[in-house]
Amino acid sequence: MDISMAVGLMLGLLGLGAGIAMIAGIGPGIGEGNAVAKACEAIGRQPESKSDVTSTLIMGCAIAETTGLYALIVAILLIFVAPGSFVGLLKDTVNALK
Amino acid sequence: MSGMDPAVRKETGYIALWVILLSVMMEAVFLIIRKWDLSVLLGNLGSAAAATLNFFLLAWTVSKALDKEQPKQAAQRVRATASLRLIGLGAVCALLIGVAHTNVYATLIPLLFPRIALAFRPMKDRNRAPAAAEEEGSDLID
Repeated sequence: MDISMAVGLMLGLLGLGAGIAMIAGIGPGIGEGNAVAKACEAIGRQPESKSDVTSTLIMGCAIAETTGLYALIVAILLIFVAPGSFVGLLKDTVNALK
Repeated sequence: MSGMDPAVRKETGYIALWVILLSVMMEAVFLIIRKWDLSVLLGNLGSAAAATLNFFLLAWTVSKALDKEQPKQAAQRVRATASLRLIGLGAVCALLIGVAHTNVYATLIPLLFPRIALAFRPMKDRNRAPAAAEEEGSDLID
């Protein structure tokens, strides 16, 4: 296997890793949806509590959303930062072995 | 915008204030470690604006979804917009880093500022709770 093929394989695997990391972005949407559905039911039972429920729900949804943001940050790091350092490491290793 | 829930405006204002404060602190840290340049400032500005806008859209969507009669419809609306907001945020970050060549860390760190602001939220509520209880007590005496 020559060095260009190894670099290509590494970049492909990094892209695959970024895609797998983004699977974590699905969860917060589902969780937020469930929370909002339950809040809707609660407001239906007690309409006078709407302002309190809205405020608390916004905070809760923002906290739930953070998980997706972590996944996004990991994916961006894998796409933009990791190739530079990993390709350099690979080239150094190959040169050292020669 | 006139029909906006007051809670949305209040919470977005709180988050925006914290994002500005934390952005200034991050710029100061970059200055101290002598890594500051225009790409840091540009990345911070773009990313902080995107994070605040993301929070505003989240709050707006949630308040609009609560107006719906059917919980299932509300849940579907929030699920759909959550994915769209995440894709939008990713696109903004990719554009900033890939096209505008901003500093990667200065672009990614401000995305977490709203979460840091929320971590400090109980402190604000704790300060407000005794005052509210006192007010309620005086109402009872009257």
